[in-house]
Amino acid sequence: MSDVKLINIKKVYPFTESRKDQKENRKGNLQITKDGVVAVQEFNLDIADKEFIVLVGPSGCGKSTTLRMIAGLEEISSGELYIDGEYMNDVAPKDRDIAMVFQSYALYPHMTVYDNMAYSLKIKHTPKDEIDRKVREAAEILDITQYLKRKPKALSGGQRQRVAIGRAIVRNPKVLLMDEPLSNLDAKLRNQMRAEIIKLRKRIDTTFIYVTHDQTEAMTLGDRIVVMKDGFIQQIGTPQEVYDHPRNLFVSGFIGTPQMNYFDAKLIKENGKYAVVSDGYKTVLADEKQERMAAKGIEEQDVILGVRPDHIIIGEGGIKGKVDVSELMGPSCHLHMTVGDNDVIAIVPTEGKSIDYTNKEVSLTFNGSVCHVFSKEDQTNLEF
Amino acid sequence: MAKGNEKKHRKSVSYAKWAYIFITPFFISYILFTLIPQFLTVYNSFFENYRNGLEQVGPNFVGLGNYIKLLTPDSSGTIDFLRYLGNSLAMWIAGAVPQFLIALLLAVLFTSSRLNLKGQGIAKTIIYMPNLIMASAFSMLVFSLFSNVGPVNKFLIDAGILKEYYNFFATKISVRTIIACMNFIMWFGNTTIVLMAGIMGIDQSLFESANLDGANSLHVFFDITLPLLMPILSYALITSMIGGIQMFDVPQVISNGKGTPNMTSTTVIMMLNNYLGISKNYGMSGALSVMLFIITGILGMLVYRSLARQYKD
Amino acid sequence: MKNTNKKARFLLIISRILAYGFVIFLCFLCLFCFLLLILMASKSNSQMQGAFNFRWGGHFMENLYNAWNDFSINIPVGMVNSFIVAMSSAIITTYFSALTAYGIHVYNFKLKNVVFTFIMAIMMIPSQVSAVGFIQLAYKFGLTNKLWLLIIPSVAAPVVFFYMKQYLESVLPIEMVEAARIDGSNEFRIFNEIVLPIMKPAVAVQMIFSFVSSWNNYFMPALLLTKEKYKTVPIMIANLRSADYSKFDQGKVFMFILLAILPVMIVYTILSKSIIKGVTSGSVKG
Repeated sequence: MSDVKLINIKKVYPFTESRKDQKENRKGNLQITKDGVVAVQEFNLDIADKEFIVLVGPSGCGKSTTLRMIAGLEEISSGELYIDGEYMNDVAPKDRDIAMVFQSYALYPHMTVYDNMAYSLKIKHTPKDEIDRKVREAAEILDITQYLKRKPKALSGGQRQRVAIGRAIVRNPKVLLMDEPLSNLDAKLRNQMRAEIIKLRKRIDTTFIYVTHDQTEAMTLGDRIVVMKDGFIQQIGTPQEVYDHPRNLFVSGFIGTPQMNYFDAKLIKENGKYAVVSDGYKTVLADEKQERMAAKGIEEQDVILGVRPDHIIIGEGGIKGKVDVSELMGPSCHLHMTVGDNDVIAIVPTEGKSIDYTNKEVSLTFNGSVCHVFSKEDQTNLEF
Repeated sequence: MAKGNEKKHRKSVSYAKWAYIFITPFFISYILFTLIPQFLTVYNSFFENYRNGLEQVGPNFVGLGNYIKLLTPDSSGTIDFLRYLGNSLAMWIAGAVPQFLIALLLAVLFTSSRLNLKGQGIAKTIIYMPNLIMASAFSMLVFSLFSNVGPVNKFLIDAGILKEYYNFFATKISVRTIIACMNFIMWFGNTTIVLMAGIMGIDQSLFESANLDGANSLHVFFDITLPLLMPILSYALITSMIGGIQMFDVPQVISNGKGTPNMTSTTVIMMLNNYLGISKNYGMSGALSVMLFIITGILGMLVYRSLARQYKD
Repeated sequence: MKNTNKKARFLLIISRILAYGFVIFLCFLCLFCFLLLILMASKSNSQMQGAFNFRWGGHFMENLYNAWNDFSINIPVGMVNSFIVAMSSAIITTYFSALTAYGIHVYNFKLKNVVFTFIMAIMMIPSQVSAVGFIQLAYKFGLTNKLWLLIIPSVAAPVVFFYMKQYLESVLPIEMVEAARIDGSNEFRIFNEIVLPIMKPAVAVQMIFSFVSSWNNYFMPALLLTKEKYKTVPIMIANLRSADYSKFDQGKVFMFILLAILPVMIVYTILSKSIIKGVTSGSVKG
């Protein structure tokens, strides 16, 4: 059993000389208390055995810090960490039975690929033949057997990355941590490796905790994803959940590409039913949304209405917009327009016709099941 | 069309002209004050040319005569040149071994994130300071402190440890120990800072990865830090050895140029100084310089190779 | 698990204490001789004949006066000579090394690589090799006891050149020079008015190193400066040693030594941060 439990984990970087530069480098708005900068707080997460969890968020959101706390490379300021039911806060990294793939791969440049992968076993005084067996097994899984005698500087980026992963799985760890492993690769290689990691997951029996800033990686790889911002968890859920039911404005805008569209709107209650009105266009919300809002007793108010680009239909009587740029993507057309203060993108299927929408006045419509209604005050999704 | 090309051609030539203007002072000075003297040194080495009292002997061409003299044992069977070279190296090693071991240890301690020692800035300032001390002044200071009537002797006598003064400069072992300690103090700070720079150049995540792999401090030091530090370490070692061969100020002032006791602290540069200063023996000093040049040239080659290895990684 | 944690924490504290102790011991070692020097320079000769103690002698100013006005060892003159040589060498060496480095960095000329390799090669040759010829020429042309003979050769300093070149590579894009050219500046003005100010940190560091090394230089000056009024401080200090030691006023002796090293100590206290930065960056680049 290798489940991981994080209870109310918090990380504060105290004000010291060396940290002063780190503070300046941090993007976003981390909370600053008298003790220092709070990089992560109120982090609660239960990871099941063999689950693939992805921590995703923009730079400086605390995802790498959290990963390093799980690894033991950063001290946990407060809160509890359990791996396999055991309290791990003070346990040295090497005793936690975890392995980590670093963003820079951290391959020992003066050792061969074989020695790199064998290092951890060598330290534990594993017998030579067992080391050999395990290294070759891992090398075979990652298709790097032909590189075993080479040194890292003789390998390409993608090959080095496989060696880094190989080094991690050789130890059969309980938890495999990966810190933005794909961010140093070019786009094409990234897509390839993403598929490889999915394949890898099937062959290895471990719990994965994966950190990335790329929401595509998060959506394709994770069983569940944890969206973070400024040190706080924004939402935890399966990719589908997070995509269909974002809990707040940030999550809705972070997940999904192209980004969700936002309209200024008003939430009204007509005949006991909720509807949103924007630019004179009224949409009655779907039944499940009605239930949820009614249960919370939501009142009429000004809101931010979110609708994904692929849910917008060009029709009649909807929100008016004028198309600035029309991008032909093949099977569909991306229309870029400005509505009020907001940039809006609508995805329109071409269906074999080549209509140039540039400078055309269009009317945007959508149905009640694709509306995401966010409070203007605290930007939370009013349904939840 | 032609005009355009003409303009371009003029531009690149005229700028190159400036390059030559800018580097000329360097080369004029080098040729005048270094290159020509260097050739002269070599030229001199083939001539017998010295002052015997008020008499000027030479210059007479003797071919390799000076070199042979340099390498011929004297009446007691010792070859002075090799003996003094040995002195230089012996005194260098005596200081360099603790210097490098302690500098390495200090560099590891200072860069250890686990230990996270504070006050490193002040410590570095203090340990580097002896490197800037005038060696002759430092030597004079040590001599005065440890002289027969100096404070050290007085303190030891007053404290009852000694019955009468101990001549620190009368035995080979104590003189060499003193000189080695002086060299150590003057240089270990510099070496520490150089090695620290080397360690900090190693990717931090390598240490973290080793940590996760289960390596303890010893493993990390021998398997990761030391191998990756090798280029800088060997560079520092060889430059130190070249410096050791050039040791002059300290033994010269401590022994007042005499190399007491019994020529055991005479260094090879002191030998050179004697030839140049006292007997104006351009012949022998020329040959000596050429020999030293060859030796340090070989060592310099090794530095170059170690650096080349570093840049290949 | 909890037991090993307590043990690990305990070991960490112990190792920290040992580390601090070790560092403090080494720092003490470095400072000891010099604190002792200051102490000894405060004692009078008679105080030193008696038993040794750590009490302040109270004769500091007296020793200072005696040392400064000593008849046989003219320390003030020595310090002036040393200062002239060291300061001039520092300025000349840094300026011309920067100039040469600039020439190699910015311009593409036929002999560029040859010149660069040549300078790198001669960096390794120890100064003693040219010493014999240099001394011979100096005596032949009657140029002994001329301070400028010690200053002018510092125009060609391969090690300083190398440092400047490395620095230029990291801070000066050639576009900046080209922009200045378009603005109408001539090459010489570009170097002096635009590039040199950018190189200030490197210049500062090398000036300090050059000053210190020139101030402390003993071997060459001793062979060339034989007349009292031209001698530099290191020569005078060495003469102290050859003089009849026991006849000397001990307090004066220590004061001489203190005066000899004081200027460099003052420079160091003010500029230690830049000096140490210079050592670190110089070593990383090799």
